[in-house]
Amino acid sequence: MPRDQGARLALTQRQAAAILLLPFLAVYGVFLVYPFFKGVWISLHDWNLMAVAFNPDAKTYVGLRNYERVMWGQNITWGALANPGFQIVGFLGVVASYLLYRTGRAARVTALAMGIAGLLLFVLPGFHPGEGGRWFDRRFWPTVGNTILFVGLAVPGVTITAMLLAAALDGETRAKAVLRTLFFLSQVLSVTVVTLIWQIMFSPRQGLIANLTTLFGGSPIVWLTAEGFAMAAIVIATIWWSLGIAMILFLAGLQDISRDLYEAGALDNATGAKAFWYITLPNLKRTITVVVVLQIILHFQVFGQAHLMTGGGPNDTTQVLVRYIYQTAFRDSELGRASAMAVFLFVIMGAFSILQFVLGREKDE
Amino acid sequence: MNRSYYWLILALSIPAFLWLVPTIWMVSLSFQPNDVLARTTSSTALGLIPIPFTPDNYIALFRFGQVPMWFLNSLIVSLGMTLAVLAVSTTAGYALARLEFPLKGPIIVLCLMGLMVPEQAVFIPLYTMFADWGWHNSHHALILPRVAVPIGVFLMMQFFKAIPKDIEEAARIDGVGWLQIFWYVMLPLARPAMMTLAILTFLYAWNDYLWPLVSAQQREFFTITLGLASIQSNFAQAEGLGRVMASGVIASLPVVVLFLIFQRYVVRAMTAGGTKG
Repeated sequence: MPRDQGARLALTQRQAAAILLLPFLAVYGVFLVYPFFKGVWISLHDWNLMAVAFNPDAKTYVGLRNYERVMWGQNITWGALANPGFQIVGFLGVVASYLLYRTGRAARVTALAMGIAGLLLFVLPGFHPGEGGRWFDRRFWPTVGNTILFVGLAVPGVTITAMLLAAALDGETRAKAVLRTLFFLSQVLSVTVVTLIWQIMFSPRQGLIANLTTLFGGSPIVWLTAEGFAMAAIVIATIWWSLGIAMILFLAGLQDISRDLYEAGALDNATGAKAFWYITLPNLKRTITVVVVLQIILHFQVFGQAHLMTGGGPNDTTQVLVRYIYQTAFRDSELGRASAMAVFLFVIMGAFSILQFVLGREKDE
Repeated sequence: MNRSYYWLILALSIPAFLWLVPTIWMVSLSFQPNDVLARTTSSTALGLIPIPFTPDNYIALFRFGQVPMWFLNSLIVSLGMTLAVLAVSTTAGYALARLEFPLKGPIIVLCLMGLMVPEQAVFIPLYTMFADWGWHNSHHALILPRVAVPIGVFLMMQFFKAIPKDIEEAARIDGVGWLQIFWYVMLPLARPAMMTLAILTFLYAWNDYLWPLVSAQQREFFTITLGLASIQSNFAQAEGLGRVMASGVIASLPVVVLFLIFQRYVVRAMTAGGTKG
């Protein structure tokens, strides 16, 4: 390179990179990396929000005590059928993942993830207080259970509805595009608008659903304060809200299925529902996994629906993990314990994020 | 287009209409008088048609109350966050995609790890930090935490990686500096990707609930999303159902308009944000 040109390139590549990277790295370091480690640090302390705000030395290092106080108890024992609901599902999950893997119906990552999830679901709910024992925090595990139940209802609900809609609405016509827009629209609303709408929809006195029931001579259900119905109500609102992304992902997945397959299928009389079952479904396996993992990550962080529609009630049946963290930190001022729960949340989310990343990689290869 | 196609569209129009009913109902209730709503919410066609009709709820909303101020806060926070995210993501994304420098690999891995950290895992320490600095109840407190989320950097990095190298090399041979190439050559090319990222960020900022709930405690600094949550718990008594519903419509208007105009970008943005962050 001639000298005069070299002089005009005032900045070397390294200097330019430093200038361009610095703004992001500074913000990233201060507002994400540092808070993350500070969160772990807080979780190792007895840290009262009010006390520390007035006197920064009012915190004491307690090691892993917060984790113990949140997750453990006195005289905890383990039984294979202590909590049969979750444990049987977990056990079946392990068996199913093994069978799916052996028969080659699921990829290794999928089977492994399913197996681990099943194993956890079998092992963890088996712990329970033995004779004379008790949990130190009797609300934590039920809260985790509610969160898993919510995920277990919302994810299949969203996935199946979205898949059927995508299969029906796949196509270039104008009518289909309009229908897709209508189904996607609720996705852009904020959680507070969604809960506003559904709170009044479910209201026993003014709600549209109650109005319909009375029209047909029934008596209205007190959705949001009746045990069992409250969870159903927030699941319904959630499915209505978050169907859009899943539907779009399925539409993208459908584009990758070759038209030739359907033409070949039509020769064998496979059209309509038959074609969906024998051609569409097997070829959507990867998309289904991606959508399911994505939805698990999304819905495990549920907060607004439970906070605004049911307030965690009735009788704690819709209390979810993020809401419990929020209350422990900002109502009870127990930042140490709340941070321990936040770390627990991070570990679960992290596992699914890694799975999501691995799945994303598989597609690129 | 055969007959079964029309049957399919007809059959799907029914669930599509049902899907819209909650939204239609909100809009319809917002145009009905509060004294009527206090008696019944199903005046005409189960309340889905706003008869008796009145625009009073919207007029009251803009005369009294804090909804206009919250709306303005939401605009400031959402636009501010969008600009900040665009600024740091395009620069960092370009550097990571096209420049060679030491420690590039580790920096990319470090940023990837940030994608795993959910908001809920850092909101407590962020709260204590901002409290120590006296930053709560301000616009920048609502903006900054999201600027640190690396999703935008990855979107831009992937985009810049896909641009052919020869454009850049031609400019280098002409003696153009790296920053000039970024500004005059790469940024104009990146407009579609920037648009996607801008919409993703704006939607997130407008709809975010947890962080504003923690950080903004004075009502003057509420966003519309947060303000709406604060009035919906006592909707029937205090302000009247019609007015609360009108607030909900106002809170949704910007994102719905954005969606209807830029539908393709919104869909792309939400799937990109969904699958990668």
